[in-house]
Amino acid sequence: MAWLISLRDLQWRRRRFAIGVVATALVFALGLILSGVSASFNNEIDRTVDSFQADAWLVRAGTLGPFTAPTTMSESRVEMVRRLPGVRRADPVLILGATTTTPVARNLNMVGVVPGGVGWPAGAQGQSLARPGAAAADASLGLQHGERLKLNGMNLRVADVTHGMTYFAGIPRVTVSLRQAQRLGIGGRRLATAIVVQGRPARVPSGFTLLENKDVAKDLERPIAQAKDTISFIRILLWLVAAGIIGVIVYLSVLERIGDFAVLKAIGVSVRYLVAGLLIQAALLSLLSGLLAIGLQALIAPAVAMSVEVPLTTFLTMPVVAVVVGASASLLGLRRALAVDPALAFAGAAR
Amino acid sequence: MSLVCRDLAVEYSACGNAVRPIDRLDVEVLDGELALLLGASGCGKTSLLSVLAAILRPINGSVRLDNVEVTGLQGRALNDYRQHKVGLVFQAFNLIPSLTASENVQVPMRAAGVRARAARRRADRLLAEFDLHARRGHRPGELSGGEQQRVALARALALDPPVLLADEPTAHLDYIQVEPVLELLRKIADEGRSVVVATHDERIVPLADRIVAMSPRPPERGQVTSIALDAGEVLFNQDDTGELVYVVERGEIELVRVRTDGGADVLTRHGNSAYFGELGPMFGLRRSATARATRRSQVLGLPLSEFRRRFGGRSIANGSAQPPAWSEQNAA
Repeated sequence: MAWLISLRDLQWRRRRFAIGVVATALVFALGLILSGVSASFNNEIDRTVDSFQADAWLVRAGTLGPFTAPTTMSESRVEMVRRLPGVRRADPVLILGATTTTPVARNLNMVGVVPGGVGWPAGAQGQSLARPGAAAADASLGLQHGERLKLNGMNLRVADVTHGMTYFAGIPRVTVSLRQAQRLGIGGRRLATAIVVQGRPARVPSGFTLLENKDVAKDLERPIAQAKDTISFIRILLWLVAAGIIGVIVYLSVLERIGDFAVLKAIGVSVRYLVAGLLIQAALLSLLSGLLAIGLQALIAPAVAMSVEVPLTTFLTMPVVAVVVGASASLLGLRRALAVDPALAFAGAAR
Repeated sequence: MSLVCRDLAVEYSACGNAVRPIDRLDVEVLDGELALLLGASGCGKTSLLSVLAAILRPINGSVRLDNVEVTGLQGRALNDYRQHKVGLVFQAFNLIPSLTASENVQVPMRAAGVRARAARRRADRLLAEFDLHARRGHRPGELSGGEQQRVALARALALDPPVLLADEPTAHLDYIQVEPVLELLRKIADEGRSVVVATHDERIVPLADRIVAMSPRPPERGQVTSIALDAGEVLFNQDDTGELVYVVERGEIELVRVRTDGGADVLTRHGNSAYFGELGPMFGLRRSATARATRRSQVLGLPLSEFRRRFGGRSIANGSAQPPAWSEQNAA
């Protein structure tokens, strides 16, 4: 019976219900997009670290990481590292910030890698990148294969377009040969910011700090930690706004149905039916909003400047979370409905 | 099965004041009887129905349906009583606007655990019986007042209760719409149910087997009486039935209204030659305040006819009699 009364009431107030669903869905969709942006921050960090195919990183002692503290060392020190027991391969890398004016002025992350060495792309990608003046640029830069890339004032040619190769919250990465990077960034000096290692060095050479991949991931995460916290906070606010919308709709519905509740109580309808009816309404409102939000975020996400990578688990848990939010939001309305005095049924015109 | 109320008293709070519309009331309604609760607004008709429906708890007395004490019911037993023992019909119909006529009738049955198909069959049968079969799929907003009230009657009878309580069932109906409703009320009683109708609509009176006057006019009695009161002595109490109008001959009488929280507010004080307490006997209302002497006083009690004779058209004035010397001269 709770279903009957709830569904009929939703039909009866369908315009308000539809407006509520759309408004809540928009809020849910924004929440999903923020989840996607936040997830993309984590994903780009993982992709960046994985792209080097390294087991360990050596940076100058006292340096927190290879991405945030561009302290340099002579690239020749790699020879000593290669001789360490446990090291299978080791190569120097140069990781620096850069700027471009193509297609528009913006900041970039420049990574210089030894051709064929640790962190160099495999197969055709690697071959195309080995040509002089070649660069692999992320698609988010907006350049196509073969287009000119002006990096730190020098002209390069886009030999490969990568996808999802960004870090520091969506800043595109350009990969060039180590020599190219040294020319572009430090006047051609034979310096590196880190040595990437395959294998596990038996000891850490003097003047170096050994970092695991997880330490490097933390290094990449640190500059965007505040942004991630802010996004998480805004997501919570959005959940509250969604809960507020659902709560207000349910509460208004209760206020308008005070007479109905009084009559139902007076004729002996158990309180649990009233509670179930309101919870069903809140759950349906939330569930439909959640499902609509999934479609809406797919429409909105391409318009967002940053990468939006909503995890599958978020899509799967979204309806459940939405229902929980809706049910919680309806508590105030439930309380009001439970407090209705059945004697009101006798109080003349109930509506 | 019979519905019996004994020594019933109902009290509630209105704007902080304790109101007792029913006091020491005895009523009995037998099976197959249609009883009317007649009286002006505020006399306690709806309060009595609420008590009979186990919605309002009296402060005193008992309500028994056969051997079951209704006033003591709680929890599941209370729900069971409301579902199976009494059917309710409200003044404003109070149908659920989003449900069709048939669904409205099904609500009590579904709430009582009747299966959907059986509830639908029973609802449609009742509506057909009430000449509403063609309207069963319509919402209340699409039905006339008479049709809505008949749907409400069908809903009240959905679980075949032995008692039907109806609050002003004809209040919103014109003379064309009222006829089938009156016929149904009589028919429902004739089928063996106890039907209690609260109304001030005298069109129902010929149908009734029993009439309960909720605002009884006490028979006029007593003579012109001079009463001496000591300081603090009470002349009459709030909620007493009124028989006499009083004129202050000497001293001072204060009118005090008892609040729900047990406190009291002094409403006014009457000095020499002022009268008070005329509304009670005039309209059959209970005393709305307690009257007591603030100091040694003398009042003159007048039966209503004597009061009217002496005061005429000024009898509902501001409580001041003219000329001041009048009461003393006539009290002698």
